[in-house]
Amino acid sequence: MAHEIEHTANHPTFKQYVVIAIILFAITIVEFVLIWERAYIVDYLGASKVPLLIALSAVKFAIVIMYYMHLKFDPRFFGTVFIAGLVLAFLVGIALIGLFVGFEGNQRTYAKANAIPYVHHGAEESAEGEHGASSETKHETPAVVGPVALVVSAVGETLTFDTNSVSAKSGSEVTITFDNPSANNQHNLVVVQAGTKDAVATDGTTAGPTNDWVSPGDERVIANTALINPGGSGDVTFTAPSPGTYQFVCTFPGHNFTMFGDFIVD
Amino acid sequence: MAHAVEHEYTTTGLNHRKMLMWVFLGSDCLFFGSLIATYMVYRGQSLVGPYPIDIIDVPLTTISTFVLLMSSFAMVQALSATHADDKKGIVNWLLATAFLGAIFIGFQVYEFNAFKNEGLTLGGNLFGATFFTLTGFHGAHVTLGIIWLVAMAILGAKGRLGPKTALDVELVGLYWHFVDIVWIVIFTLLYLIGGFDVGPAAPPGGH
Repeated sequence: MAHEIEHTANHPTFKQYVVIAIILFAITIVEFVLIWERAYIVDYLGASKVPLLIALSAVKFAIVIMYYMHLKFDPRFFGTVFIAGLVLAFLVGIALIGLFVGFEGNQRTYAKANAIPYVHHGAEESAEGEHGASSETKHETPAVVGPVALVVSAVGETLTFDTNSVSAKSGSEVTITFDNPSANNQHNLVVVQAGTKDAVATDGTTAGPTNDWVSPGDERVIANTALINPGGSGDVTFTAPSPGTYQFVCTFPGHNFTMFGDFIVD
Repeated sequence: MAHAVEHEYTTTGLNHRKMLMWVFLGSDCLFFGSLIATYMVYRGQSLVGPYPIDIIDVPLTTISTFVLLMSSFAMVQALSATHADDKKGIVNWLLATAFLGAIFIGFQVYEFNAFKNEGLTLGGNLFGATFFTLTGFHGAHVTLGIIWLVAMAILGAKGRLGPKTALDVELVGLYWHFVDIVWIVIFTLLYLIGGFDVGPAAPPGGH
């Protein structure tokens, strides 16, 4: 029986296979007990159960491919081909999770903070028009000396303001009333120094909704309304600063790219 | 090997059919890896129930996992019987493997049906979509394996399997064990770790 001896030298015996099966079963039982609430181990483990369970299943995985699939006894190249696929699959998984979830923080917060609002074609054109034709700026209210009341409104769901320019006299007391007729979107109106709308909005993203998406103590911010819920309205009163062109913007994450205008002080 | 495993000439010195199977299994890693990653990406993102904690039955699935592990043991015995030219053993162990695989599928059919009755559907929420896609494709692999095993058992009953054709049994074995290790990963991630996931803490606030 020369061939029988050679055979057993290359492959596990029946007894060894039984031992391997028992080890696999034992690991599965351990895994189950770890998460079984009536064993009370899971409370003790807390978050560390995840790496523990992954490690245990990795051991099972390795035992099956080494012994049951006899990679341990076969030419190495078979294993190399398989491990190459496995490593690629792992990298694809990491890449997908990195792309869609991010490696830190809450998934949903990450997605919201990084979301780019959908702007349909018509809105895009009017946004371009805002930059190009400054001569067409429409004055909501003529600038007068003394108290100035301005009304600005968001336009439906388009993430734009209904005007691209408002103005007031320097030193006058300005009250901006901001209406939000949107059915879904929260908005605010923040008056900022020229050219700082995006930077202010970015910092506001970090400040979060509890701060109305405005970083507390931001020196570039001249005035801001609270965060206005859909269908709501709010106002802010402040003294118009020295003559020049300022900006107003909605700092809800992502809105600042389309929802802004000039605040002209003369 | 003394028992005349054919020494056919190949450029790699390795058997082409066996190489093909390993390349296929390597690529199947990518297939399941992508589906698993998709599940992980959408994990905890469902806004409507049912959520994993509501319906996942870990003890039940632990039993079906045992059954699948047991089938892998039967599979290696089938291959041993083939090497030993034990005609009766080949057929019995192959059928035992297929039978245990069928029990596993039975558990899955029961589970899918129970989940459906609880309101989990492919189109209902992200959990349902990713869960059914991943475990469904795994179940399809198991089903294919059962068909292959039964076909091999028929060949064995006709006396066509033995040491000279051991590779035929070995290939179905590799495929079967692969399906087993994929389940090891799915069981850990979807049941042991993800099976206790709850829904959003608060109802989603207006954007």
